[in-house]
Amino acid sequence: MTDAISISNAQLRFGETAALDGVSLAIPQGTCFGIVGESGSGKTTLMRAVLGLQKLDQGEIRILGNPLVHSRAALKQRASFIQPIFQDPAASLSPRSRIRTLMNEVGTVLREPHAAMHERLRVILNRLGLPPGVIDKYPHEISGGQARRVAIARALLMKPSILIADEPTAGLDVSVQGDLLNLLQDIRRSDNITLVVISHNLAIVRLIAENAVVMRAGKVVEGGEVGSLFKSPREAYTRELLAAWPGVTQSKPTG
Amino acid sequence: MAISLRNLSVDYSLPQGTAHALRGVSLDIEKGELLGLVGESGSGKSTVAFALMGLLANNAKVTSGTATIDGKSFDLTKRNATAALRGRGMAMIFQDPMMSLNPVFTIGTQLCEVLRRRSPGSDRKARVGMAEDALDKVKLSNPRRRMNQYPHELSGGMRQRVVIAMALLSEPALLIADEPTTALDVTVEAQIMREIIGLRDRIGCAVLLITHSLGLVTEYCDRLSVLYAGERLESGTVRQVQRQPGHPYTRMLFDCEVPIDRERQADASENRFTVISGDLPDPRRRPPGCIFNGRCDVSFDDCAVINPGDYPVGNEAEHRARCLRLATP
Ligand SMILES: Nc1ncnc2c1ncn2[C@@H]1O[C@H](COP(=O)(O)OP(=O)(O)OP(=O)(O)O)[C@@H](O)[C@H]1O
Ligand SMILES: Nc1ncnc2c1ncn2[C@@H]1O[C@H](COP(=O)(O)OP(=O)(O)OP(=O)(O)O)[C@@H](O)[C@H]1O
Ligand code: SF4
Ligand SMILES: [Mg+2]
Ligand SMILES: [Mg+2]
Repeated sequence: MTDAISISNAQLRFGETAALDGVSLAIPQGTCFGIVGESGSGKTTLMRAVLGLQKLDQGEIRILGNPLVHSRAALKQRASFIQPIFQDPAASLSPRSRIRTLMNEVGTVLREPHAAMHERLRVILNRLGLPPGVIDKYPHEISGGQARRVAIARALLMKPSILIADEPTAGLDVSVQGDLLNLLQDIRRSDNITLVVISHNLAIVRLIAENAVVMRAGKVVEGGEVGSLFKSPREAYTRELLAAWPGVTQSKPTG
Repeated sequence: MAISLRNLSVDYSLPQGTAHALRGVSLDIEKGELLGLVGESGSGKSTVAFALMGLLANNAKVTSGTATIDGKSFDLTKRNATAALRGRGMAMIFQDPMMSLNPVFTIGTQLCEVLRRRSPGSDRKARVGMAEDALDKVKLSNPRRRMNQYPHELSGGMRQRVVIAMALLSEPALLIADEPTTALDVTVEAQIMREIIGLRDRIGCAVLLITHSLGLVTEYCDRLSVLYAGERLESGTVRQVQRQPGHPYTRMLFDCEVPIDRERQADASENRFTVISGDLPDPRRRPPGCIFNGRCDVSFDDCAVINPGDYPVGNEAEHRARCLRLATP
């Protein structure tokens, strides 16, 4: 089967910064793939490149076997099967329109009857622990974690076959985080979608992803099946990440 | 600076009715202390911070609440009650870094402006040096180059660290940090917490740390308050609460934490995450009885009718929780 996403030797510079420095990876269809790594290591840049929002200096990206084409029409067409959840949720919510308007746009794009779309939306909002009334609010009238969930709900509503989520659980409490991850796992199985999760939370990547890579300074420094990656990391950086994990089980030393 | 917040209630008015975002919330932070504020997304944590800073949205109304800061009382129901303290007295690291950064100025300009406000007489060169040093402390690589960059040229986590550097440079007496490290990996997070604690030790400021990371709270905070649907359900020292949570919500929240050593199983159904089932109550109509009734795993008949008081947990001083099980042991 062709890979959902395959990247070979992606290179991209911003002035002196090598944001992507020869990244190659392949994400099989229907799997969950984790990307972890240092802040500023190029994770968001890689996602933007895959979405066609950022041109590479060199290298190739294929989505479901087809090379990425940079045109307005191609961008629009891609939106029907690949959906992003951006790191900054506010950026994907237009400040001047109610959340209802944002969701209705999805119905228009998918040419889905209003009632059917809202029924799907009701189910998604409920599973994400959002009250139905949230759609009558403006983005600045909801909390940080609610805004992130609204952005996620909108992406899911598009019924993508590939979902790329940049820090989807940032700003969510552990219970809501669990709800979201359970939902993503369910949808992944029922709709057989490919899920790419960029996250600083190694504990969740370890549970939801089959494969993961660790990025540093524009490069993939280590990667593979999560079990062995986390059990016996080869890179010092990966080991540091695991060692610095603030756990609640170890209680504070007294004194 | 010691700060004590009493009986804070905040409403948001909406076309569909009035949402009670906070109901009678009290918090105390001693000088030099780190208080962790945790709780469900949407429970009102940022609203507490905004009320203290005097930065609530236009449709918000403080219906009750006083803040006593270093012996001086401020009536929070008055607009701009704490305006005099903003800047030098209080600083806030916002949940959304772009709320503190101006997209049209370089990082350097914005950091130097903080220093200029703090000590207007200081020399420009010294300010640049201090700003670069602050960027270095939050582990940003190449501080000199960052000074000339604009916010959009930085990654999400880099922007967050610029905002933290700004707050540290202002040397506030009360530092409010709203989810300061969500976009950062744990090694950088640890460094940032060391810097915050370093500032606390150096100038003795009080710190309110709003976070969803229970690991962060148990590792770095002195005390902990738990917010749920606009009410404070528990407060105590971190050790007390960790050893014996007084409120079922706190216990269930800790149970949702994902341990780093949990391994993926081949059978996908084994990889489920623990959650607290049920929904937050409607903020427009508070149901009678306990606010957590309906999601609580140890509720009983009285819970639907009696609103619990704030009872001591065990015989520990300063450890309190609002659960009827504590009143009738
Ligand atoms: N528009 C831009 N102009 C200049 N430099 C940029 C731009 N966008 C990104 N960069 C730089 O590229 C590098 C990679 O940034 P990117 O946002 O991909 O990091 P990231 O891995 O997503 O980090 P984080 O975990 O902090 O979100 C950083 O050094 C950043 O400063
Ligand atoms: N301007 C506003 N108008 C109406 N409702 C608002 C407004 N701002 C916040 N709210 C609501 O008030 C409640 C508390 O919001 P707040 O931002 O304080 O939550 P929070 O605890 O910080 O959540 P999070 O962890 O998601 O950031 C939420 O239900 C939110 O939707
Ligand atoms: S008062 Fe009742 S419902 Fe509320 S937390 Fe205690 S046992 Fe649970
Ligand atoms: Mg990023
Ligand atoms: Mg908040």
